[in-house]
Amino acid sequence: MIPRIALVGMPNVGKTALFNKLTGSFQRVANFPGVTVEKKTGWVSENGEKILEVIDLPGIYSLDATTLDEKVTKDFLLKKENATSADLFVLVLDATNLDKSLFLALQLKELGYPLVIALNLMDEAKKRNLSLDLEKFSYKLNAIIVPTSASSGEGVRELVHSIKSELVKCHHVDLTIPEHFQKVFRSPSYVSNVFKEIDELLNEVTITKLRPDTFTEKVDSVVLHPFWGIVLLFSILLIIFQTLFSWASPLQDLIEAGFGLAGSFASENLSNTLLKSLVVDGMISGVGGVLVFLPQIVLLFLFIQFLEDLGYLGRAAFLMDSFMRRIGLPGKAVIPLLSSHACAIPGMLSTRVIDNHRERLITMLVIPLTTCSARLPVYAILISALIPNVSIGGMPWLKLPGLVLFGLYMLGFLSALLVSLVLKKTLPQSSPSMLLMELPPYRVPSIKNLLLVMKNKAMIFIKKAGGIILIVSMVIWVLVTFPQKDGITQIEQSYAADIGRVFEPVFRPLGFDWRITTALIPSIGAREVVVSALSLVLSVEGENEKGMKDALLTHFGAGTLVALLIWFVFAPQCISTFAVMKRETDSYKWPVIMVLYTMTMAYVFAFLARQIVLIWS
Amino acid sequence: MTVKEAPINTKLIVRSFHKDDMRELSDIESRLMHLGFMHGENIRITRRAPFSLGPLLIEVRGRSVALTPDEASLISVEVSR
Repeated sequence: MIPRIALVGMPNVGKTALFNKLTGSFQRVANFPGVTVEKKTGWVSENGEKILEVIDLPGIYSLDATTLDEKVTKDFLLKKENATSADLFVLVLDATNLDKSLFLALQLKELGYPLVIALNLMDEAKKRNLSLDLEKFSYKLNAIIVPTSASSGEGVRELVHSIKSELVKCHHVDLTIPEHFQKVFRSPSYVSNVFKEIDELLNEVTITKLRPDTFTEKVDSVVLHPFWGIVLLFSILLIIFQTLFSWASPLQDLIEAGFGLAGSFASENLSNTLLKSLVVDGMISGVGGVLVFLPQIVLLFLFIQFLEDLGYLGRAAFLMDSFMRRIGLPGKAVIPLLSSHACAIPGMLSTRVIDNHRERLITMLVIPLTTCSARLPVYAILISALIPNVSIGGMPWLKLPGLVLFGLYMLGFLSALLVSLVLKKTLPQSSPSMLLMELPPYRVPSIKNLLLVMKNKAMIFIKKAGGIILIVSMVIWVLVTFPQKDGITQIEQSYAADIGRVFEPVFRPLGFDWRITTALIPSIGAREVVVSALSLVLSVEGENEKGMKDALLTHFGAGTLVALLIWFVFAPQCISTFAVMKRETDSYKWPVIMVLYTMTMAYVFAFLARQIVLIWS
Repeated sequence: MTVKEAPINTKLIVRSFHKDDMRELSDIESRLMHLGFMHGENIRITRRAPFSLGPLLIEVRGRSVALTPDEASLISVEVSR
């Protein structure tokens, strides 16, 4: 059996970056932007062979865990779930903040955990003049200490080497921690003793002291400024949404051209009309129509991960805290709400950082209103059909479509805030809300880490396009193609039309005819499928975005398209979101409430939006 | 005086969390303690939002900790001389 090691450490010590460096692309669970909330598994490989299994645990301050994500780690360390344990623990310390890191180190040492210590961020600490007597340090902690730099990869090979040599010693320690320790961990005298021990230890091993970090404080005087800080926050968001459009479009053109070539190649080489239609209209245009948005989705994940690695997300929580608390959310909800813009599932999971049960519930209930990346393709195609691509105020970088997209994101976000205000008034107050978080020092994000995150995200999306989206596209193709009359397809008489017509009366006030209702059904599984479903029911040739744009406008008109756009701002998210919320709240009650209220909002606002457009034009 | 009322950018000494092991600490007290808000520790308020509801930023044991005013009022301090 492959030996298993577990990475433990405080939050923000570069543990996940080290995990990425150790395992490279051998990971089972792709990492979500934001905090680590579930344990992740990966493998260290040597000459293409897996030699170590690595588990990355959420950051933990001490064995007295209070938040839900910390409890995942605590349960693992204290073997609450007796199924998994590790043969060796790799404790990650932050060399630029040893005082903080050592708390857990001393606890684990005292309890006799088999440890190897990775002294991470040692390169940065050296630059700030820190020098340590590592031999003495190692002796005092009774563990091998390897200086590492997870961002450059320095020391990672030595770390693997030390892990292997420690594993050979193979000291199987039975770690059963007596129940009464729970109380001890929490007692003031115990904690103050550990702090005293840390002070003494640091005094003994420090040769030259760390220069204080004046940079972070200087930057914070702007970033956390009550006025300029907010201005900066909103500017960052605006720039992100602008770049989503401008940076991604050349890549999107490339992907589109590729699928165009594939389509014409297929239609030239396939003689059977039915088969040709299945391959070109069903498979190529279905998958291509969605895959074309890969650059935008990957960019969005990149930006959120970048802000997280930089240390900005916690600052955003600080800036927004007093405002957020007025509307019933804690400042910390900013992190799940921002990462939900990539995907609601990691968003739901990262609400575990919110200690207050009621506030966590409110955050989960409003998350579906934030715009997840799967809605981006739908927005993009509808915006390009409705809004001309012109610059505003003679500024070539400020385009109208980008601004409208930003507006839609804001609409989703603001309605999330409004709903939470309503929930604050209706749900009973339980315990006081908490902020209590550490703001990490600023760090330059590692490009390699960002690239790895992008690669993982891209792979997930491509797999989805090749899997569920391909299957759904083929099913829809069958539904719109059959039954044929004298070998000729008539969409108006197809099965799809029959299904769509069942729902048509309900949606007629929104201007949705059977074509849209048919396209909406598969969107319960994944939002982005709507794009390919629409292109099929409209029988748009190839995956050409321009053809799709024109077809949308001529078939439905502006009023209906606006209604559809608004529908997607509010409509309940995919079925996986529902499932995650069911798991996290452990009841059907809240996810059902979530679906009902978002559906109602979507219906009412789509109706109103259409009326306004109809009156206006 | 608690941190909530204490002056900004002044060296303060924490006076709460006396060596009283008899009382069960709440989650929030335990968390504060683990972040370094211990009896006798030097701390400094580095930032305070202009509105009364706004959070505070405290420097404790070389790290920056954000607290709400409610949380800040749990820690009693006195100005260091």
